[in-house]
Amino acid sequence: MKLFIITIFVGTLLMACQQKESASCCSMPTQPKNEKEVTKLPETSLYQLDDAWQTQKGKELKLEEFAGKPTVITMIFTHCEYACPMMVSDLKAVESQFSAEERNKFQFVLVSFDHIRDTPERLATYAAAQKLGENWTLLHGSADQIKELGVLLNISFEQLENLQFAHVNRKILLDKTGSIVYSIEGLETGREEMAVEVRKVW
Amino acid sequence: MHASTFLVAIFITLQAFSQENTMVLVPDGTYKPFIKGDSKQISVASFFIDEKQVSNADFRKFVKENPQWSKENARKLFVDSDYLSQWESDSTVSKKSASGAPVVNVSWFAAKAYCEWTDRRLPTLDEWEYVAASLPYNSTDTNSIKKLIADWYSRNDTKSNYKNAMGVWNMHGKVWEWVYDFDRIQSNSDSRNKEEVPAGFFCGSASLNASDASDYTSFVRYAFRSSLKGNYTVRNLGFRCAKSK
Repeated sequence: MKLFIITIFVGTLLMACQQKESASCCSMPTQPKNEKEVTKLPETSLYQLDDAWQTQKGKELKLEEFAGKPTVITMIFTHCEYACPMMVSDLKAVESQFSAEERNKFQFVLVSFDHIRDTPERLATYAAAQKLGENWTLLHGSADQIKELGVLLNISFEQLENLQFAHVNRKILLDKTGSIVYSIEGLETGREEMAVEVRKVW
Repeated sequence: MHASTFLVAIFITLQAFSQENTMVLVPDGTYKPFIKGDSKQISVASFFIDEKQVSNADFRKFVKENPQWSKENARKLFVDSDYLSQWESDSTVSKKSASGAPVVNVSWFAAKAYCEWTDRRLPTLDEWEYVAASLPYNSTDTNSIKKLIADWYSRNDTKSNYKNAMGVWNMHGKVWEWVYDFDRIQSNSDSRNKEEVPAGFFCGSASLNASDASDYTSFVRYAFRSSLKGNYTVRNLGFRCAKSK
């Protein structure tokens, strides 16, 4: 019995030591901070895009903050009358295939093409009208940020004279670290497939 | 300061200046795009554009000061595996690619980062095409551009050296160039002002939309451009920078 207690005692001590060690290793001055930041995401991660966006709640956010859960992402604009509501319907149809509990294990991100009209306030109104839940984030960014993300997501777009946008309709799945693992083009496409893919990577 | 050090410093400064790419002020104007749907003339507002393509030497300076863009450090998300493959290392340009030659094997992200580092930007597709349509200096033959490009395609080298009427060098004949909106949707008049994207511009319906079906040389350029992705690097694709007025 005594030996047992000692073993536990020593074991606890060792564990404490290890924890302390691992904590101190990461704050060691020999490892420059920025180098660590560069290396922790995979080479193909979109979360390497470093610029801050604004959410529909007016919060500043870097894409990296989506790390940890798979993300279903697409690009829309709220004045869009035809394609975008269908894209959102597609994503809602994906969501409907998951239980309330399961819905916490991944997230939806809608990035607006329209950096002028789609302010965080406007995005909030849109999210409410579309009854989008807490696991949906709508993003407002600068024209250049939107362009870079569009290039990476392979969503080309063009602003037209009437302030509408011509754009590719593509839904993309990012894994927990922000790399593209699945994408599907078109409207009313991939509803079941996307749900299957999400379950593979959460 | 030791005299020789001083001289070296001056020399380096002069070198730096000689590497600086002079910019040309492009006047307001219009151009007729290759795609028929855009058959009305497109207006382009006056802006500045580099007289020549960004060179290996220019780009090496950028890489030196921005090590995240070196061959070793640049991330796969932003550059593919052929990035700067004409360089032996980040500090040496191989004999095959002279320091004054246009830098190639650079991705859209790398080109964009370079221009931003110099407080400029990539030209838009419209800006680039507008300047590229300018006839060779002193030429009145409207077919001279087409001839020049056809010659280039058949030679497949970088020997061309011509200045156009706007005072810009080698818009054709050396390397292809990145533009900011290289992935722009080539919408035709039917789909214009609709959100829908026309199906496969370069698949069959393509040639029907061309404003001049005989303009094979432009067709090749548009097709090449639309085949690119942001991290692609190609051995005859470089860039030059622009600046708004």
